[in-house]
Amino acid sequence: MSNIFTRIRGVRRRLQQNPRFSDAAEMPLGQKFYLFLVVLLLTIFLGVIAILQLTGTFTAGLAEKARYFENELVHASTRMASQYGQISLQTIDLAKNLSRSIEQQALGMGISPGHLAGHPHLLEEIISGECDEALFALQLSKSSGVFLILDATINPALEGAAHSRAGLYIKNMEPNIISASSPNIIILRGFPGIGHERLLPLHAQWRMEFDVSEAPYYHHPMEAAKEHPHLPVSRLYYWSDPVRLPGTSEEVMLCAAPLIDSKGSVFGVCGLEISAMLFKLSHMPNNSDYRRLFGMLSPLKDDRIELGRSFFAGGYLAKMIAGEQSVLQIAKQRHRFHTYRQGRDDIFMGLHKSIQLYPQDSVFFHQQWVVAVMVPEKDLMVSVTRLNIIRFISLVLLVIAGVVISFNLSNRFFLRPLSRGLAMIRASDLEAAPRTRIPEIDNLIDYLARRNRELAEKARRENLSLETLDRFLDRIAELTPAERQVFKLYGEECTAPEIAEKLCLSINTIKTHSKHIYMKLEISSRKEIALYITLLQEIGIEID
Amino acid sequence: MKKLLLYCSILGMISLLLAAVPGCAGRKAEPAILTLWHNYGGQLKETMDELIDEFNETVGTGEGIIISVTTISGSASIHEKLVMAANDEPGASPLPDITTAYPKTALLLAEKELLVDLDQLFTAEELSRYVPQFVEEGRLEGGSLYIFPTAKSTEVLFLNRTIFDRFARETGATIADLETFEGIARVAVLYYDWTDRQTPAVSNDGKAFFMSDSLFNYALVGCRQLGADFIDGDSIAFSSPQYARVWESYFKPAVLGRAAIYNGYATDLFKTGEIVCSTGSTAGVMFFSSTVTHPDNTTEPAELAILPYPFFEGGAKIAMQRGAGMCVTRSTRERERMAAVFLKWFTSPENNLRFVSSTGYLPVTGDAFGEIMSREIETIPHEKIKELLSTCRIMQKEYAFLIPPLFQGIDELQERYEAGFKEIASFSRESCRELALNSTLERAYEAVAESALTDFSNQF
Repeated sequence: MSNIFTRIRGVRRRLQQNPRFSDAAEMPLGQKFYLFLVVLLLTIFLGVIAILQLTGTFTAGLAEKARYFENELVHASTRMASQYGQISLQTIDLAKNLSRSIEQQALGMGISPGHLAGHPHLLEEIISGECDEALFALQLSKSSGVFLILDATINPALEGAAHSRAGLYIKNMEPNIISASSPNIIILRGFPGIGHERLLPLHAQWRMEFDVSEAPYYHHPMEAAKEHPHLPVSRLYYWSDPVRLPGTSEEVMLCAAPLIDSKGSVFGVCGLEISAMLFKLSHMPNNSDYRRLFGMLSPLKDDRIELGRSFFAGGYLAKMIAGEQSVLQIAKQRHRFHTYRQGRDDIFMGLHKSIQLYPQDSVFFHQQWVVAVMVPEKDLMVSVTRLNIIRFISLVLLVIAGVVISFNLSNRFFLRPLSRGLAMIRASDLEAAPRTRIPEIDNLIDYLARRNRELAEKARRENLSLETLDRFLDRIAELTPAERQVFKLYGEECTAPEIAEKLCLSINTIKTHSKHIYMKLEISSRKEIALYITLLQEIGIEID
Repeated sequence: MKKLLLYCSILGMISLLLAAVPGCAGRKAEPAILTLWHNYGGQLKETMDELIDEFNETVGTGEGIIISVTTISGSASIHEKLVMAANDEPGASPLPDITTAYPKTALLLAEKELLVDLDQLFTAEELSRYVPQFVEEGRLEGGSLYIFPTAKSTEVLFLNRTIFDRFARETGATIADLETFEGIARVAVLYYDWTDRQTPAVSNDGKAFFMSDSLFNYALVGCRQLGADFIDGDSIAFSSPQYARVWESYFKPAVLGRAAIYNGYATDLFKTGEIVCSTGSTAGVMFFSSTVTHPDNTTEPAELAILPYPFFEGGAKIAMQRGAGMCVTRSTRERERMAAVFLKWFTSPENNLRFVSSTGYLPVTGDAFGEIMSREIETIPHEKIKELLSTCRIMQKEYAFLIPPLFQGIDELQERYEAGFKEIASFSRESCRELALNSTLERAYEAVAESALTDFSNQF
């Protein structure tokens, strides 16, 4: 028995030495398996990337941000439209009230409002008489200032009197404090006596009169009223760009309406103010996601936004980055965002929409204003890129973890038990082999053990011991090549005439070879040859 | 099997991480927003805005702190809002993380245990860098530090140098006369007469020379200069001879028209040339105009001189120490720590001097007051501030500073004192004018002044 297995092992060694089955030529099964795993995971990884790309996941961040910006824009434009609309209406009311009241005062003094310029000594009394109306309008409107400018000066003889106008400008320094019991009201322009009388202090930048040399808020509504005498005040009010009045430090936007007496004579303007601070406090965007997010109200001309003529709300000093006098060109749309370009550089991204400050038949309806919500382009792109980088890194981590875990699990639960099983098969005693816990390997070992037992049983049943087979093999080696050819054909169960025909020999020659074969192998029939060959095949030995 | 479960868990966690990425990306470093209420409005607002923006862009970015200013208001309004918030009144805003506050406000909040003891947020070494008396003023109940010195001020003498020089050339008055209150009173007589002579057609229309922005502080400091206390417990010590001298030093010029009686700040009267000098807070320096506007709208330049606070002859050189500080309200330890980061940055010598350079407040650290100020003073763009700081350096060396007393009701007492003084001075002025029609001015004054102090003190 042991001789047979020795032979069997010999046969296997020969097989292993065969180049077809050599390790040097073929990758081991384990490595192949690992390779398949890597290819599988990489395919999944690339597939996921492709799906994410196709479904727009990598640009979904930008779309998500666009929704956020759209919300901010809607909120900002709604609030601004409400505030500016309200102040426009209150300016109209103020202009009507002051026009009527000043006319009554002037007529009481024996002059018409249109001739105030010729009576400078009456100006203080007239203006002082309107102070309470102005204060009432200031408090009602929640604006940061109220003003009244008459087309007259208290000292026509002074140099520069042509651009100096008497009036009153009262500022609320804390317009955002609604419930303040003692509002911080200060006189910016006007007679000091008006302040003294009402315990209103003078502003640090107080002046007696207005300098109207460059004052569109004064000239535009007055000219419009003179050119369009048929139009009501509601079609003649005017919103100035953000400006710094001469001698002041804070930017303001003024809503000015003409003062017109009952005869149609235009004798001044009045209006309300929105200061840069009030704008900022009223329209602060939600910058919890983008710290440098800012809202803006700007005049729009030829798709251009002038930062120097805009109001800002937000923690970020847009003017600082873009320069005080710079102009932003509204450029292309990217993923629902507009880019705002300075020169060749895209410096901001965001959204804007137009806002109507005037009714359709207003003299100033052609003036376009936009509300914008922007952020430096870098901030937006960085946030989206960061999101995608985190996604990509997470995917790579997932793949790496998958590879490592797959290798480990495959090794532990598949390759290592398989090798152990094969080693057991190579071992001599299959009956004593332990269980591998791999059903397939255990079944194979069981099968082989069973086959061995069956062979031994068959050999015993056929009165053929394994020693007999062993001897039979030794005797085969004694056959001549010609006898071996004949023996092989007998093994294929050919008859003597068939063998003679195949080998092109005479029947007698075949008979002679047969005699020698029978004698050397110590057998007596052709069937006995076939039996031996079958037995040998069953134990895995082929006879060449 | 356990390992298999472990591996599955790891994969599951990574998958969850991947799934959670869109929701959490970019939020990891979300900064804390600290709210700030301050009273640096008007022209000071711009400086404050710039500093806060810079903090948010630099240190704030690194530390994850955003300072958000939610109220800019006068100190009275902030006091009102803080009291409402502290009492949890309907409609009150929530308390901010940081607020400017005067001691009276801080005391109220501290009593309700709403303020952080800043000794917990600053080391002794850090606090030693600040001017000791400024830190001392912020120590309230039991010596706990509730008010951090951020912008302190004192009182000085502001002078319209342009008008004064014109007047001095013709009358012989000198700047040295303005060192003492007695000297100021003498010059005020000269000035009244000089201005009266400008309009020969109208008699007795001379102008006031002097005004004090706070008559209460005038009395507090004046009495202390003369070695007495103006406040005894929680009431005014009217009976001391020192107070009588202080009273007379202002009451007489006020009645005789040499000192202004005005319900507002002296800066208003400076703008129209109605007075020439005033005592007031250094923080008011930016409110002085560079021109004087006359009633006919003609203007002339006005050079502002800033002199040390006057003292009574024979008295000590003492001036008031004023100014709010910043308080940190109780929240979480992390937010309180962040508030301290801002306060340290805001009061670092460089930033403190930047703030000081455009506001008129005094530096609060020893370094900023000393070497850095010496080095940087010439670079300050505002001439007024430059002169102010030079004067304050002199005062820092030569003067002692008085921390006003703090007790419940001091505000009301101050309001009553000032209103009462102005009322009796105005009434006495009218009476004096009427009496002077049939007598000399001196005799008329003596007649109205005889019982004035007694009448006034009886109101309290």
